Amino acid sequence: MTEVAIIGTAALPVGKHQSPPGSDGQVLEHEVMARLITEAVADAGLCKDDVEALVFAQCRPYTLQKYFSTFMAHYLRLPCPGVVMEVLGNGMTGGYAFDRAADEVRLGRAKVALALGINFETAISAAEHANSSMRATGDVDFHAPFGFTPISWYAMDAARYIHDHGSSREALAAVAVKNRAHAALNPIAQFRKPITLADVLGQPQIVSPLGLFEVPPRGDGAVCLVLASEAVAKATGRPYVLIRGRGYYHEGAHQISEIPNDMTAFLAPRTAGAAAYADAGVTAADMDLAEIYAPCTIVEVLASEALGLAPRGRGAQAAVDGETRLGGRIPICTSGGLQSRGHPSYVTPLYSVFELAEQLRGRAGDRQVANARLAVTSCELGNYNAALVHVLEAKS
Amino acid sequence: MSLPILSIARRRAYPPRTSQFTAPFWENLAAGALTTTACACCEKLTFPPKPICPHCWSSEVRWVGLSAKGTLYAATVIHAAPAVFRDEAPIPVCVVDLAEGLRIATRLLVIPDAPLPALDTAVEIVVLAYEDGPLFAARPVAAG
Repeated sequence: MTEVAIIGTAALPVGKHQSPPGSDGQVLEHEVMARLITEAVADAGLCKDDVEALVFAQCRPYTLQKYFSTFMAHYLRLPCPGVVMEVLGNGMTGGYAFDRAADEVRLGRAKVALALGINFETAISAAEHANSSMRATGDVDFHAPFGFTPISWYAMDAARYIHDHGSSREALAAVAVKNRAHAALNPIAQFRKPITLADVLGQPQIVSPLGLFEVPPRGDGAVCLVLASEAVAKATGRPYVLIRGRGYYHEGAHQISEIPNDMTAFLAPRTAGAAAYADAGVTAADMDLAEIYAPCTIVEVLASEALGLAPRGRGAQAAVDGETRLGGRIPICTSGGLQSRGHPSYVTPLYSVFELAEQLRGRAGDRQVANARLAVTSCELGNYNAALVHVLEAKS
Repeated sequence: MSLPILSIARRRAYPPRTSQFTAPFWENLAAGALTTTACACCEKLTFPPKPICPHCWSSEVRWVGLSAKGTLYAATVIHAAPAVFRDEAPIPVCVVDLAEGLRIATRLLVIPDAPLPALDTAVEIVVLAYEDGPLFAARPVAAG
């Protein structure tokens, strides 16, 4: 089968871009997306006629233009022999777009495919948005009536992790400090002012024991990635990133397993990660950096353990000890992660791949991981009930 | 033996839907019993109750009573609540492992502003009798 490369990228700085309904001078999603598409294709050294498939992360329901993918094919006059479609899968939505676009190239249906999307939501208040998101992470009839929110499940992970592994809220909070230090070096990050551990611990509680800086902010964002066969990538004569391995696993549970298990063991990324490493013929120890979908600090800790980047029960301490910081043993979330780079949820996994594509092409500027060759990224849905993991490799 | 039934002087913020199948669960709960379904073939329990056994996919299930005793597996307090729950925040919630080997998620009844009970604390399920129907919650056994 065809090897698949990432050869071009463009991303909107994460922030508040969405216009309030009814306001003048609206920022329209398709105008933003169109500009990113042209930038990403130019970055790849290709032209419009090379594009043969479009796989979009579905837009939030707050985007008025529906059937966004087919609308965009018209807007930019992009006839495609490969698919034009949009995908949806909670926080994994952008990951599915990347995976599905890669499949079009892998299966030979398109030599060049775009994985892309735009997530605009900040004109809707957090409390109103939560009226919808509470129905996405749990059972509408047996969980939602109690008031559970998406991040409340992660907060319970934190409580259990501290209890089982002798960790602490302070240790978890070190992840937020580390991620903000990374974001300070990332021009597209939403929050870039450095913070201290005291700053994190002094924030109001959102879902105890996690405060404001340990949970994701809300943001708008958009990303376009250009994927191509390795033959096309080589012909450009530019550095590119190869998809070396891929793994996926859904544990067959939604938020909690009705059969008691170790909730913080994160079976899905453990299984998907092992599959991705095996597919790539590498091990976790070979990774130079990782970009993990982790809405809360605790999630980065648990996913890093599940992906073999830290021993079980030691992920938070690894952040305290600086192992996961730039310059450390295994830098994690050099973008600033979801807390500081930002979390426009449906496209967040595309931002993760964007960051690794920057790093693996040596374009990450002040946050560049020296000699970065291999990297791992994961995304998830629910309480990491499913995980999609990719191993990426620098090629030049 | 009936579970403790606590009257709540308000309506449920986000009431569950009931189906013809799940109606007995809510009717039993209102009467003070926590129930679910067990498979007639593989005998495994499930929660919430389901008309098909998720373990062996048999359609032969029966209603059984649960002891409503368990331990606190995880807990949090939701300070930033969805709009429909805004007037109830902060909201303590939890995951409970029932004695029968079932894991459920529910409200946690604690003294306002007091620290959450330690994990693995023994808890019991109680009925919350709202004006428009029942929900359930867990509370430390010592608080009973």
